[in-house]
Amino acid sequence: MADYQLLIIGCGLSGIAAGIRAARFGVKTLIVEQHALPGGLNSYYYRQGRFFETGLHAMTNFASPGDKRAPLNLLFRQLKLSRKTFKANQQNHSLVQFPSALLRFSNDPALLEEEIAQTFPEAIDRFRVLKKNICEYDSFSVKPWKSAKAFLKQHLENELLEHMLLLPTMIYGNAEEDDMDLGQFTIMFRAIFQEGFFRPEGTIKDFLQLLLQQFEQFGGEIWYKKPVEGIEHDHNRVHRLRFADGSTVSADHIVSTVGLPETIRLTGWQTDMQQYVGQMSFMETLSVLRSDTTVSSRERETIIFYSHSDSFHYRRPTALFEPQWGVICFPDNFQGLPVKTEPQVRVTNAANYQHWCVMSESEYEEQKKRCAQEAVVSAGKIIGPYEQDIIFQDSFTPLTIERFTRKKGGAIYGSPVKLATGATPWENLYIAGTDQGYLGIVGSMLSGVSMVNAHVL
Amino acid sequence: MTRDEIKDVILEIIEEIDEEADFDNLDADAPLRDQLDLDSMDFLDIVMELRKRYQLQIPEDEYPELATLTSCVNYLEPKLKDA
Repeated sequence: MADYQLLIIGCGLSGIAAGIRAARFGVKTLIVEQHALPGGLNSYYYRQGRFFETGLHAMTNFASPGDKRAPLNLLFRQLKLSRKTFKANQQNHSLVQFPSALLRFSNDPALLEEEIAQTFPEAIDRFRVLKKNICEYDSFSVKPWKSAKAFLKQHLENELLEHMLLLPTMIYGNAEEDDMDLGQFTIMFRAIFQEGFFRPEGTIKDFLQLLLQQFEQFGGEIWYKKPVEGIEHDHNRVHRLRFADGSTVSADHIVSTVGLPETIRLTGWQTDMQQYVGQMSFMETLSVLRSDTTVSSRERETIIFYSHSDSFHYRRPTALFEPQWGVICFPDNFQGLPVKTEPQVRVTNAANYQHWCVMSESEYEEQKKRCAQEAVVSAGKIIGPYEQDIIFQDSFTPLTIERFTRKKGGAIYGSPVKLATGATPWENLYIAGTDQGYLGIVGSMLSGVSMVNAHVL
Repeated sequence: MTRDEIKDVILEIIEEIDEEADFDNLDADAPLRDQLDLDSMDFLDIVMELRKRYQLQIPEDEYPELATLTSCVNYLEPKLKDA
């Protein structure tokens, strides 16, 4: 008999969700995690006595407790967590800001519609039709790839507006360069513009604790600091995980949340790995500002998607990173949160993994600092200069992302080619998380849940 | 288990699955799905919970037997008579 019925590689959000789902029905489950902390991309750390979150800007897919069909509430039911007692802080409002136009949106979809009616009166009727078609689009049945760009163009015939709607949807979940699959676009459009942004009450640490408590209460186990070095298998079935320390553990089923390229490496799977390596990676610069800074208090916006030009190219930059477009996030600016004495600003820009990974350590540190400065200057053009107010700064590069998520190339949205069924050449090894096809935190958790439902339960 | 006990078990399971379930006006002969706004994932949970509690294997082609409260009881009565 195997040591466990189910092994899950990776204690990120999709792995934990898969774990809770299985353990809930008595499946003997073990999650193995390479790091000392849970969360994967969405984790936390301490520097100079301060607490910081890593990946999380906001969660998408906000829904009130009563709305049973909403992805967030479906997820809670599947994990047997109480949605009623879960406190979510919704966003204030957010912006898409281009040189020639600015659009506000909030968790009330009417705001975006009003803004478009005002700024793009010639396109508002077309936008309403677009929205209706997106609502009716069945995103979850498997369909051949279709261009979101062509869909938008056909509906809106307004290049600036098309770009302004694509920026948030792409930057918060698109693994492909240049264009986006229509199915993925409709999922992201609904998640961002129809449902909207929120934060779980407290920090990502509290949210992870809530989930892990549920997992452990159902009898699930976790091993930390256990990097997997191989998945042992014969022709049809996987049998056990081999760890860096040489030990092994066996299982009836294995769920991998480390992405397709890394799963290919761990199994020795004979396939073209390159098609599964995402090109889009990002650099994030977080700054803690002095209490008397004027920057974050302007309108208390939550998130600003910006471009310094009226069009933007969603692709891996040729340079180290691309400060021309990106996202600015104020993690303190959500409804119901007290005004922080030392507010934070996070700026995220596309970055080129290839350039980052060939540098010497000293060069890496130097370039990281230089790019962080450029990011702050770039964001300063939108929210007002704040370089002078920074009391602490840190940044993550594509290498940091790769180290913490094992996503090759630091591709936070994983492979541009998704594996909808989660099935691999081995009948009891499945892929869950970003590379299976659902996006965002709620999406990747639903991926973990649905892979366990489909293959394990 | 008696028919009434089986009924209570089903309601208890549904209540655990969905904290918002409202049984006040439940018609035992009308589909649970429509009345309680359950989806197929919720239905899977009922099946899984029965398996966990009573080691009951319900094959997928028999899921329709669980459509209404009365049909659940009819279907489960022989299977749970010794439980």
